[in-house]
Amino acid sequence: MNKIIAALAIGFLLAGCKKGGELFDTLLPEKTGIDFVNSITETNDLSILDYLYFYNGGGVAVGDVNNDNLPDIFFSGNQVKNKLYLNKGDLKFEDITDSSGLEGNSSWNTGSVMADVNGDGWLDIYVCAVVGINGFDGYNELYINNQDGTFTESASKYGLDFDSYSSSAAFFDYDTDGDLDLYLLNHAVHTSGSFGKASLRTKRNYETGDKLLRNDNGKFKDVSEEAGIYGGINGYGLGVAVSDFNVDGYPDIYVGNDFHEDDYYYLNNGDGTFTESLRTYFGHTTRFSMGSDVADINHDGLPDLISLDMLPEEEVPLKASEGDEDIQIQQLRTQQYGYHYQFTRNMLYVNQPDGKFMETALLSGVAATDWSWATLFADYNQDGNQDLFVANGIPKRPNDLDFIKFVSSDQIQSKINNTRLVDQKAMDMMPSGVHHNYIFQGRDDLTFEDMSTNWMIPEKLISGASAYGDLDNDGDLDLVVNNLNAPPSIYVNKTNNKANFLKVKLRFKGKNPYGIGTKVYAYTDGTLQFKELFPARGFQASSEPIVHFGFRQKELVDSLKVVWPDRTCQTIKNVLVNQELTLEPKNTKSHSGVSSNKVATPLFKLTDGNLGLQYLHKEDNYLDFNREKLIPYKISDRGPAFAVGDLNLDGKDDILLGGSKFDPTKVFLQQDSIFVPQNFEAIRKDSIKEQVSAIIADFTGNNKNDIVLGAAGGDFYGRSKRLTETYLIQKDTAFTDGTFPELFQNTSVVKPCDYDGDGDLDLFVGGHAETGNFGKAVPSYLLKNEKGVFTIDDSFDKVNGMVTDAIWNDFDGDGQKDLIVVGEWMSPLFLRNNDGQFEEAFDLEVSGLWQIIHPFDIDADGDMDYLLGNWGTNNKFNASKKSPLRMYYHDFDGNGQTETVVAIPKNNKYYTLEGLDGLAGQMVFLKKNYTSYSSFAGKTVEEIFSKEQLEESTIWEVNTLASGYLKNADGTFTFVPFKNELQVAPIMAFASYDFDADNEREVLVGGNYFGVKPYHGRFDSFPGALINNEKNIILGNQLGLDFTQKSLRHLHVLEMGGQSYLLAIFNNANLEVYQIMNRQKER
Amino acid sequence: MMKKVGALMSMALLALTSCTKKSEHIAIGPEDYHNSVDKVTEVMIHDIFSPPVASRIYVYPNIAAYEIMAKKNQDYQSLSGQLRDLDAVPEPGNKEELNYELAALISHIDLSRRLIFSEDRINVYRDSLYRTWENTNEKEFNVSKAYGLEVAEHVALWMDKDNYKQTRTMPKFTVNSNEPSRWQPTPPSYMDGIEPHWNKIRPFVIDSSAQFKPAPPPPFSMEEGSDFFNEVKEVYDISNQITAEGDDSEEVEIAQFWDCNPYVSVTRGHLMFATKKITPGAHWIGIVKIASRKANSDFAKTVYAYTKTSIAIADAFISCWDEKYRSNLIRPETLINEHIDDSWEPILQTPPFPEYTSGHSVVSGAAATALTSVFGDDFAFDDDTEVPYGLPVRSFTSFKQAADEAAISRMYGGIHYRKAVEIGIKQGRDLGQFVVDNLSMESK
Repeated sequence: MNKIIAALAIGFLLAGCKKGGELFDTLLPEKTGIDFVNSITETNDLSILDYLYFYNGGGVAVGDVNNDNLPDIFFSGNQVKNKLYLNKGDLKFEDITDSSGLEGNSSWNTGSVMADVNGDGWLDIYVCAVVGINGFDGYNELYINNQDGTFTESASKYGLDFDSYSSSAAFFDYDTDGDLDLYLLNHAVHTSGSFGKASLRTKRNYETGDKLLRNDNGKFKDVSEEAGIYGGINGYGLGVAVSDFNVDGYPDIYVGNDFHEDDYYYLNNGDGTFTESLRTYFGHTTRFSMGSDVADINHDGLPDLISLDMLPEEEVPLKASEGDEDIQIQQLRTQQYGYHYQFTRNMLYVNQPDGKFMETALLSGVAATDWSWATLFADYNQDGNQDLFVANGIPKRPNDLDFIKFVSSDQIQSKINNTRLVDQKAMDMMPSGVHHNYIFQGRDDLTFEDMSTNWMIPEKLISGASAYGDLDNDGDLDLVVNNLNAPPSIYVNKTNNKANFLKVKLRFKGKNPYGIGTKVYAYTDGTLQFKELFPARGFQASSEPIVHFGFRQKELVDSLKVVWPDRTCQTIKNVLVNQELTLEPKNTKSHSGVSSNKVATPLFKLTDGNLGLQYLHKEDNYLDFNREKLIPYKISDRGPAFAVGDLNLDGKDDILLGGSKFDPTKVFLQQDSIFVPQNFEAIRKDSIKEQVSAIIADFTGNNKNDIVLGAAGGDFYGRSKRLTETYLIQKDTAFTDGTFPELFQNTSVVKPCDYDGDGDLDLFVGGHAETGNFGKAVPSYLLKNEKGVFTIDDSFDKVNGMVTDAIWNDFDGDGQKDLIVVGEWMSPLFLRNNDGQFEEAFDLEVSGLWQIIHPFDIDADGDMDYLLGNWGTNNKFNASKKSPLRMYYHDFDGNGQTETVVAIPKNNKYYTLEGLDGLAGQMVFLKKNYTSYSSFAGKTVEEIFSKEQLEESTIWEVNTLASGYLKNADGTFTFVPFKNELQVAPIMAFASYDFDADNEREVLVGGNYFGVKPYHGRFDSFPGALINNEKNIILGNQLGLDFTQKSLRHLHVLEMGGQSYLLAIFNNANLEVYQIMNRQKER
Repeated sequence: MMKKVGALMSMALLALTSCTKKSEHIAIGPEDYHNSVDKVTEVMIHDIFSPPVASRIYVYPNIAAYEIMAKKNQDYQSLSGQLRDLDAVPEPGNKEELNYELAALISHIDLSRRLIFSEDRINVYRDSLYRTWENTNEKEFNVSKAYGLEVAEHVALWMDKDNYKQTRTMPKFTVNSNEPSRWQPTPPSYMDGIEPHWNKIRPFVIDSSAQFKPAPPPPFSMEEGSDFFNEVKEVYDISNQITAEGDDSEEVEIAQFWDCNPYVSVTRGHLMFATKKITPGAHWIGIVKIASRKANSDFAKTVYAYTKTSIAIADAFISCWDEKYRSNLIRPETLINEHIDDSWEPILQTPPFPEYTSGHSVVSGAAATALTSVFGDDFAFDDDTEVPYGLPVRSFTSFKQAADEAAISRMYGGIHYRKAVEIGIKQGRDLGQFVVDNLSMESK
């Protein structure tokens, strides 16, 4: 059977190989002599039912084992014997397994890596194995190179003969004592139903727990416990990446764990111990973490990381497979069991100067590569940017919903339970997960372009462990992929002389001759490329121990800086490209080793006492998705309200902060150098409402400030008084209720302005949504103030929609304040004020999920531009003018309750975001129409719903997801998006001020948002940014700000006692006060 | 050419012969009705319905069939005016040629088809029956079919007003793990609490979902020695004791026999799949078949027994679910894992809804009371309902005994405390007695 599959695969290769891809040719075994096939054989006793990682595949290691300057290839097989192929040049390989004694003795081999374990200048090979279950015997084997084409298995001599459940291993010098230590990655096999507490990871388990092994003069000692390495029963280790992530001179470790166990991020303390720090630096991670890789993708000298998962790109497998977990289960898992946020898709973590990671996989275009095992960053086309290869595929998709819910029980369940014989016919009902591998071209703006079908021949293979090396010594990087039931893929890179390269080999001293852990910085024209030599990377593999750069057409590298593992460094100037350069320590200087990721002179510094503003906004536990299961995001988490104004007639600005449902609004009075909380009875008794917008101003003309509070919360419904606004008039020293119209929508914003020019402050009240009826356009109102009494201005009917923000600003320069309104699923509305009458000035046709608008002359041309906070592009929505995002709003099942169905464009068709269970949970008729998941998967909106249903729907559209600004050119506005770093999350707040004391105002931006289902993830990694002008935008993590993992609502600058402070007000978190280190702008 | 003519002639001949069968009567017996009910059960297992929803799928088709049967059979009285908001079904037009049993069966099949998801599975079954009947007596079939479908439509209109559709879009159960006594999703699937609004379904006989509101469970306390803690501990101790005795222990056998979980999620290696069984209601529907057969019940009595039992079951679920989401009590598995033994697993998989009272206990109490009123006390029977699911036959001396065993099985299974079982079966019996007392079905 396996032979047939192999033969078929070869047949496909033959058919497809004639042309090759633009960048890679696929070479056949006939040409290369590499005839290894990792065939796996299912038996009654051994299949995916017995061993959950039955399909994970073997390993591959590339390196020159005979020092003839040609990289050789070692493959480990699961059930078949391992093989070593000597590179004979001209891409011909000779199988020397027999003569070298490398075929192996374990029943089930997994990852394999090459490393010079004994430091003699010859590469040794370490082969991992799974031992002790399913009758597997053997142990992890260490083949020491005898320097004569033979190897001696010496694992027990070195103390590395583990008989446990190993996935892979990485040799590197963690304690920088000059020899190579080992991180051994193991995996659990238990399938207990309960998550179990996260603390299980602290109880060590020999078989399943990862291990850190210190090399003590050739004997490896397990130092896991003392070094702070977890080794519990719940560690499903599939990925390990070693890198000096925080660039402090000590290598750190990222471990990817499958299933519900968190990934581990071990920061090296430099004293032989590690501190697991995932939660501090990562807002969320992959859920079913598999392989990973590290490289600096954005030329900032900081290693970035990708971790793989298994999200399919195509609609059919996407909708037929189990998706992300239910939001309530996620809450249980994170809050009750102590795990971190995990989502089912690849994650690309871009390392930031403060050590935190900005996660951009969706924005970058690398989130969905199907069932993915191995990934390797490298500059395959030598254009100076890192490209990305992903190997994927699984013979059967065990997460197929039809299989889980229907087929399995009918067809095989009794067999499994009674005879444990898996009927082949039943297994065949699980759909195949064969998919072509992916390769992406890296670009300058954090994005990657899918070149899978251009650069290579897209073969349908089950691919796993992958390694790169320059097999033909032509300077570019070739790829070797260990496949399941088929010969390995040998992808030969044809870049050759189309772009320039530099290949660096390192000759370090002592027991680390290959210089593992060395950093190389290459500068050309001010652009940095940064590499570290850690050959164990990808998945169950190690790549050739070289450092490779691409330089496009550049002939000369301005300088090359090498930082050796002992933290000494040397710099070589003017290096010619297109050569193999061998470097050894020479004229080295001591390298500080001080982490570069500390902000030296921060512009913002957190205050110690918060100026007395001890305010925690606690969101109530109302969950919108329990009531309206299909809405795209919450409407209940838009608070808190925030307002500034003098409430006690002492001339100092006081602060008001709204509470969520059942939490009273709080007032802090400004004293000389501190704020103190003050209880106002009229405000406190109003605690049931959820207040999201507030204004402090004198509405009655008695020179005492009054208060208006806008109510929302998304929970109270109908004509509940809890939805109406609060209007408190200050008379004497007490507040009493004023007259205000009863508005029952969820209010988003209240903005005062004397729009009718009668000398008092009138109000705009923005309507966001009607509770329980999301998708219905709600009116916004102008309220006329007459002697402190507000009435609805009936002449105003210009705004119906889902308003989120508004400003009064004279955009036409006629001296009257005009009204600009933004909202979700709508274009910004510019309403010209003609003596109190309003007309729409122009139609912008930039519909977005706008959150906020802020006037700012960003191009410094003297007229006003408008900054706009949108949803960003780092999410699963997808919109353009040609193919807008859509939301259908209708009572689809005619039961009196409306539904919203969000659909995204994909290949010119519209598909629902929700799967069958989600949609049918609200619209039962779909269960009757689609009695299987496969019948539903791949169906467009037009196929799922009838023509009538769609015609009767209100269709909302969004054509722009990017945040940006409306650039004013002589009164004509054009939308300009911000750069990608500002698109990683929704932007929720702006504040203008001369932050850096250069006598020019800048705008500070912040955001992040969590009110979405696990399907979307968490938009948690936007660090904030300071916008100086169109071209000059600095991220907050370089300024001392920390806005990550919190969802910002308001930014406000406060001057007090000669100092300036920044107030950052978050939803469901503590208010934070930064001191603005008001200094003259440098440079 | 000749062949075609021959074929045509033989077809004509066939048509003729089938016409000549006109006078033959379509005989419908109790077995035909059992088959139809079994078919519905089979499709329900495939489609996966939760126990409350399953009870609704059984009851309406039975009522439709019963109403037609009672039109003919003077021994039985219509339920119109007895079941909430049910108006009298239409009078048949052509009484002479109407086959009431056939019409009853057709209405049963048609309503069932509307209620399950996989209509194709019922359609295939229905179409083959239709073909047979049509061939047997086309006129009688057409008249009966027309009336059967008319009554089905009548009952469907009534059914559509039972608030089921509205409850589909009501809020999901909100998990709040900060409240220690509040129910939380349980391993391994951590499914949402199912049917939190089932108490809003229109009841059949009882006045309201709260009419048989049970006494509350013991006050929540995990302090050692408290009544509640003792209940938790008892579940743990019993479970350990019978697990030690092994799979052959009587208690484990009882627990597994009455598992009746329509969706047990199993993880084996990297595979997930479901073992599916019938629901508690379906088990008692199976007992109706056993008892009807044993008593040699005719078609009318068979339909009567199904109808009365399924009404009691449906109201029992409404009553029980009302209490479940009133007390919102946490399951033993969650508490034992948290406070006593983090690796403990119940013998049965914990179903996805609050603990108090035990659904199987309430339903078994109600169903057994209804069945006793039909077939009498001390009606011994061999229960082979679970044989298709790999479980043995168990013998009972009475419906009451079977119900008692079903109730206690939930403690053995580690999914209920004692009070949920003891108070639950009383809740079910009281409710069942109320249904029996208030329904006049047999003409006395």
